[in-house]
Amino acid sequence: MTYPLETRNLSFCYSQHSRLILDKINLRVELGQVLAIVGLSGSGKSTLCYCLSGIIPLVQQGEMWGQVLIKGSQTREMNLPTIATRVGIVFQNPETQIFFPTVEDELAFGPENLCIPQEEIGQRIEEGLRLVGMEAYRYMSPHHLSGGQKQLIALASVLTLKPEILIFDEAMSQIDKVGKQRIKEVILDLKKAGKSIIMVEHDLKNLDVADRILVLRQGRLEDFVGLF
Amino acid sequence: MQTSSSTQTIEENELDPRSKLCIVFALSSVAVFVQKIWLLALILMLGMVLTYLLGENLHLFKRFGRIIWLFVGIAVIQSIFTPEGIPLIAIGKIRLLTVGGLEKGVCFLLRIMAIIVPASIMISTGTREIIQGLVQWKVPYEIAFMVSLAIRFLPLLSEEIKDTFIAIQLRGIELDKIPLGKRLRMYSYLFMPVLSGVILKARELSTAMETRAFRAFPRRTSYRVLKLQNQDYLVMGMSLCFVIVVLTINFYYKGGF
Repeated sequence: MTYPLETRNLSFCYSQHSRLILDKINLRVELGQVLAIVGLSGSGKSTLCYCLSGIIPLVQQGEMWGQVLIKGSQTREMNLPTIATRVGIVFQNPETQIFFPTVEDELAFGPENLCIPQEEIGQRIEEGLRLVGMEAYRYMSPHHLSGGQKQLIALASVLTLKPEILIFDEAMSQIDKVGKQRIKEVILDLKKAGKSIIMVEHDLKNLDVADRILVLRQGRLEDFVGLF
Repeated sequence: MQTSSSTQTIEENELDPRSKLCIVFALSSVAVFVQKIWLLALILMLGMVLTYLLGENLHLFKRFGRIIWLFVGIAVIQSIFTPEGIPLIAIGKIRLLTVGGLEKGVCFLLRIMAIIVPASIMISTGTREIIQGLVQWKVPYEIAFMVSLAIRFLPLLSEEIKDTFIAIQLRGIELDKIPLGKRLRMYSYLFMPVLSGVILKARELSTAMETRAFRAFPRRTSYRVLKLQNQDYLVMGMSLCFVIVVLTINFYYKGGF
């Protein structure tokens, strides 16, 4: 059976002589599943996100063993733009995910890179904004929005690439209660739309939308039983 | 499709960013070559008028208000160290200020201002429009985005510096009250954390761009398309004529004016 996202004996360390950050991780994400991964700071959660989204080994260097498979294809044999159309990632800090003076420009950036025709880009912008409920902010500067709204714009920008898998790398850690609630609602909507979602979190309060929870401890993934 | 035409093309009465770039380039480049004071003053005045007419309030000029005194200082020093022409102030045989020196100092000041003021024209133009203008001028999009990122990077840098200074003051160090020597030494200690913080942020920014398929193909489409109108051709033509006329005056009438 081919899973949307799968890892087989995935191990990683930043340099040959440093400790293993990830140690033989075997993970399967099913279609339409919300999988949460929890762990303490420094446990390797973000590193795992980078491996799953192809940033490691394609952008960041290090020693990686095992396989990361997106619909059966190995990430190390793909290029990042191809991965970007299949796996979208929302990072922790909304400030470093926003580059343009208007929300519309921000959302257009991804489809423009994929050489999507102008008319379809317009449709994707509308759809992306509708999914996160930010239609009213289309012509505004994203830099004047709240942290939660910025994160929603970052998410909408990823959604315009139409990925089947979404990774949230502690995307709720820098936003207020209202922003968190909105993002969780969007996650549930995306789940209904058949997207597979991986939420990496350290705050247990944000896990109520998850179907399955795993804990990353000393480089290994285990079922979460209420303790880090 | 429900897209506002105003967002995809520049509004009808507004100049295309490429026209604005031509004006800035014309005024700034002639200001570098021109040697005559009256011509420099004319270029500066023209720059101020155009900046005003294009709806800018000389913000950049005001922002440079603090450092303009630095340029005034340099101009004074330059005039002191250029002992040409009739002496205006002299101590014995040492000529402190001469007509030639004063001319050079004023020239320097006017030149700096004539370069800075026209740059204000670009302030209200969005970075995305500037990128699109450059791309439609066949500048490789990677380079155009590099320019845009450099502009985006400046607030990140200033934010990082501000955060570091606030963190220090929150630890009970009053920067205003410590002696200059100690303060300078402290700034040198801060340099590395600020730099590493900025590099990390830059890395996050570039990773975010890459994960959104940047550089997927040698070309990319654009949702926002710029279209040159008659007024833009007129402005570009006039800018070219202006450069030719000013440089001709400057080179052929060396002795006169």
